[in-house]
Amino acid sequence: MILLVQSIALFFLVAGTAFSLIGIFGFLRLPDVYTRLHASGKVSVFGVVFLLIAAILLTPLSVWKGVLLIFFVLLASPSVSHALASAAYRAGIPMARIERDDLKGKLEKSGTEGNKTFS
Amino acid sequence: MEKILSLTLWIVLGLHLLMALIVVWRVWRGENSVSRLMGLDLTSTLTLAVLVIISMIQQNSIYIDVAIALAALSYISTVAIAKFISDYRVF
Repeated sequence: MILLVQSIALFFLVAGTAFSLIGIFGFLRLPDVYTRLHASGKVSVFGVVFLLIAAILLTPLSVWKGVLLIFFVLLASPSVSHALASAAYRAGIPMARIERDDLKGKLEKSGTEGNKTFS
Repeated sequence: MEKILSLTLWIVLGLHLLMALIVVWRVWRGENSVSRLMGLDLTSTLTLAVLVIISMIQQNSIYIDVAIALAALSYISTVAIAKFISDYRVF
């Protein structure tokens, strides 16, 4: 039984590290902010959550803390990705190899006219 | 099995530290502000992963508490800086 739990934890450790490595490789190699966001979401969602599942299986004390942290990471990571993509589009950062822009002319800035004080 | 598990944990810790170093180098050599902010968020995520691995190595669950606090702080700071980049104000 202990051997089975340790084998499952070992699988989750290796899988989470592989997802993190793939995400960092995509973060280094992709050409654009928006495509790089697609790669760096893997590190947060799959890598850290798989490591936390392994931590729940291996350490005997931390079941509810681990479940709470999994819930928080799954709640926080997509909203951070959304906020970064929205900030990149509103700041006017160009896309690489663009074919069509569906949001062109439909997005106005939320109440910042005459408020650009620092840049 | 214990020995294999311990060796795997140390290798995973080294790989995550190496990935955090690569991401910090990429933040230093970044090309625009959103890319650097994304690197900052990735650095805090990898630090969270390193804390979880240290709690597995030492068999001590106090590092999970530190990881919860770090996740909350990094979420708030990243969303605030992204709002500041897009709208030039935080609130």
